Amino acid sequence: MGLFESLHIVIIALYTLGTVLFLTSIFTENERLKRISIWLAVLGFTFNTLDLGLTLSRDPAALSGGNFYFNIIGWCALALYFFLWWRLRLEYLAITALPFALLLFVASLALGGIRVVWPPRLTALFFGLHIGSLVLTLGALMMAFGAGLAFLYYNRKLKTKEGLSGMGNAVPSLDKFDTVNRWAVLIGFPLYTLGLLSTFSWYIIAPFKPFAWDIMKIGSLAVWFLYAFLFHQRVVLGWRGRKPAILAIWVFAGMCISLIHHTITFRAAP
Amino acid sequence: MNKQIILIGLNHRTAGVEVREKFALTDVENFEQGLMAHCPVQECLALSTCNRVEIVAVAQKVPVPVAMDAVVQYWAGVCNGSPEQLMDNIYQYSELDAVRHIFTVASSLDSMVMGEPQILGQLKDAYRAAVDNGTAKTIVNRLLHKSFSVAKRIRTETAIASSAVSISYAAVELARKIFGDLKPTRAMLVGAGEMAELAAMHLLRNGVKEIIIANRTLSRAKTLAANLGGEPIQIETMPDRLHEVDIVISSTGSPVAVIKSKDVKAVLRKRKNKPMFFIDIAVPRDIDPDVNTLDNVYLYDIDDLKEVVDENMAQRQEEASKARAVVDLETETFGNWLNSLNIQPTIVDLVGNSEEVAMRELGKTLKKIGPVDDKTHNALERLVLSIAHKSLHDPICFLKRRTQEEGSADRFIDLARRMFNLDDESVPENAHLDRKSASCAPEDIEQYIEISKKEQ
Repeated sequence: MGLFESLHIVIIALYTLGTVLFLTSIFTENERLKRISIWLAVLGFTFNTLDLGLTLSRDPAALSGGNFYFNIIGWCALALYFFLWWRLRLEYLAITALPFALLLFVASLALGGIRVVWPPRLTALFFGLHIGSLVLTLGALMMAFGAGLAFLYYNRKLKTKEGLSGMGNAVPSLDKFDTVNRWAVLIGFPLYTLGLLSTFSWYIIAPFKPFAWDIMKIGSLAVWFLYAFLFHQRVVLGWRGRKPAILAIWVFAGMCISLIHHTITFRAAP
Repeated sequence: MNKQIILIGLNHRTAGVEVREKFALTDVENFEQGLMAHCPVQECLALSTCNRVEIVAVAQKVPVPVAMDAVVQYWAGVCNGSPEQLMDNIYQYSELDAVRHIFTVASSLDSMVMGEPQILGQLKDAYRAAVDNGTAKTIVNRLLHKSFSVAKRIRTETAIASSAVSISYAAVELARKIFGDLKPTRAMLVGAGEMAELAAMHLLRNGVKEIIIANRTLSRAKTLAANLGGEPIQIETMPDRLHEVDIVISSTGSPVAVIKSKDVKAVLRKRKNKPMFFIDIAVPRDIDPDVNTLDNVYLYDIDDLKEVVDENMAQRQEEASKARAVVDLETETFGNWLNSLNIQPTIVDLVGNSEEVAMRELGKTLKKIGPVDDKTHNALERLVLSIAHKSLHDPICFLKRRTQEEGSADRFIDLARRMFNLDDESVPENAHLDRKSASCAPEDIEQYIEISKKEQ
């Protein structure tokens, strides 16, 4: 077994262990277990970073492999999670971040054969703006998805006054979950817009690449409209709480569908 | 066990309020001094609160019943009551049962509201007074220190005190679940009822930034505002100020709703949907129940809060069994320590410890010098064990002499056990913060020895 295979097994083991222990700690309200699971995730993340670095340094052509992007989306989701953990003490969001990171890492290994065609020119622009911004948006939305589900669940508990004892002190306040949604909207939407604009601009700049509307572009634009609606309602009309939480879940679902569609299209492409 | 700990007490379960009143100790310091002077006890501590009196003592070479009887007689005498009446209302424990009881009391498992933290503070005060008074010595010292650590362990390891069991505290907890940090929030008191005042006080203590007090009688609002440090307003202006606050506690005597759903809707628009928490403790209710159907608004009336409290109470009962297991375990540990206060187990532990160190060091040396024949090995083993034993001759001789002196045996044996760390106790990280910090890692100690030798 080579270095990479061993590294991948270690990463999967750490993410799996982190996920299982974190979920167990939530049900058993065991703080020690929770801390252990998060540090396992930190370790997994470190190895994941090492894996990404080694892959790129060994073979820059890895950037053309679609599986690399799945890996980097999962990595980005965890990076954002650690940021939220640091800024908002929201370790609770590991409930979303860890399973997604695991899923995307496993998917990155399983989904071979996808080729990302790199443009011959303006490569840095394409990578920096398009991929970078979309990966960050997806990571932010992943967090907003988790925070949205948690908000809806605990909001219902507080409204109906049922099972409040299950909402222990370790559960963050509704305000914190809403803050994640706000950040995902304020930062994610401009990034997503940038990501889409950079793609469309690239079509204009790149020679021999005529722009044509297809289901992929229409899908991405539909998600953008939904996201724009959420951005408008949140920023202009001051929506908070339940409604933006639901909308963020829909936007994330839309992005997931779009991503899956992209994957299928790229795989089908000759 | 030759150190007989006894505990005599009464509490809200064994005695009615009249009896508790009668046998409450108003001057605990004098009582402790009197107990030491008139009863066959060598150490004692008394705790007297509105719900309980606990007297812990260490019997002085007399049978337990004799010591207990003397304490009861003295206690009844001090309170001008009859010993018979007192006997009918007290409980008496000795040895490990007494230890278990004091741990249970400190952990608030025996309190009227299980898990309430006040009792620990009261016990700490009583202990401090007993130390100042000179009535708490080796055993009571250790017992109380241990009971504080047991209480801390229980609070950390179980959820016995994690949920609110009073209406006002439940309101604070709910506010925290909505807003998280209460520091940036503002509250409004609509009506100046006693319970609302209590809830407001709790909110302010927990960080709420400002409070507005709206009342029909402005003078009452002003008085309350002076007490709580808030802004008094006339109740008629309340709707215009509602958008400024995040938490509203209402307790007016109005027969109709004071705050209506459509008013709150307008307020929410003004607040750009910032969440609001309404606590309605008035009967009949002051706030239209439909308010709870609005997004970002949470309404709790008195029944809802009571339900929260009941649920939390039930949860505490569940946690109590976990806490009792901790108490049992710690009682056993304390029993071991108590047994070790005889000189023989201490000598055995000292020698055992020393032999272990000697053999460990021999092992290290043998590793360094390589294989040796059996004869050399045995000679080296005899050498290190002999050093280990002989270096203890003087300390053991000193201990033997001291333990023959009246009243100092426990103190010196305890000191020796702590000095040689025979009970394998770890020093808490926050202990001795007022003293010069010193690391106790083996390499630091070696360095310290070297420096000390050089400086001499």
